[in-house]
Amino acid sequence: MSAHEQQALVDAAVHEKVMAEAERIKGWGEAAERVARDEVNQPTINNWLEAMGLDNPRFTAGEAPPSMAQVWTMYGLGGKPSEDDPLHSMMRVLTDAGFTAVLGTNCEQSYDRYLQVGERVRVTTALDSVVGPKATGMGIGYFVTSRNTWYVGEERVATMLFRVLKFIPHAKADA
Amino acid sequence: MSAALNVGDRLPEWSLPITPTLVVSTAIATRDFQDVHHDRDIAQAAGSKDIFVNILTSTALCERYVTDWAGPDVQIRGIAIRLGAPAYPYDTFTFTGEVTEVEDGVATIKVVGAVSLGDHVIGTVKVAA
Repeated sequence: MSAHEQQALVDAAVHEKVMAEAERIKGWGEAAERVARDEVNQPTINNWLEAMGLDNPRFTAGEAPPSMAQVWTMYGLGGKPSEDDPLHSMMRVLTDAGFTAVLGTNCEQSYDRYLQVGERVRVTTALDSVVGPKATGMGIGYFVTSRNTWYVGEERVATMLFRVLKFIPHAKADA
Repeated sequence: MSAALNVGDRLPEWSLPITPTLVVSTAIATRDFQDVHHDRDIAQAAGSKDIFVNILTSTALCERYVTDWAGPDVQIRGIAIRLGAPAYPYDTFTFTGEVTEVEDGVATIKVVGAVSLGDHVIGTVKVAA
């Protein structure tokens, strides 16, 4: 897309501000480190196995399902990202610029190994990229990609790229 | 299972009814308390038809689908998904999958989880081969 076409989608000053903030927040690198509330534990694994309908004897013998990596560091009921969280900060920049709606579009998890009951993970968040503006079926917006990295001690155990579209919904744009 | 993965292998189709209980129990089991996954009034006020399946569950169901087929010893290296149509209660997931690549000891399995509105999740699951 040419700069001219971009300008047609989003005011040039708004676009410049968004991209400048994106660069600033990317510069924080892996930030907002959080430690899981609980150790990897069997009751939480059991709840997940029941809900998903997955039956695998490994997951009652000390290992945790790989895609639970993210579960251990979810914020929980009423939990919120910290003010210095790169994804949260970028979302706020875009919300303030009028891109109020959000839609998850991609989630790419990689597992270095399966976690073990008793391990306690910590996670960092980095802003990976902000791409746009794009005219999508949902509305005009920016694709925001963040990267989470999970560790046990100093050992990396899992990573995740998470992409959302932060956009101006059609109804609002038309109003 | 490890020696048995070949490009072109197809996974058997798997259907999973999407009940309100599935949506809510999986959201809570993944510790995702966003209201649009358990409160229909709020979901509808936000413009959705109903509550809808959360992203951690879309990933987890890809894990289950591949594990059910490949066996409990399968070693999953990664799950990458692209999200499409929302998965609402009273719809049904239909999962299909195929081995698309086996290289350097890693097999790539393409997985699609469709609902009546279209493809909900298009994923690639990488497993040790």
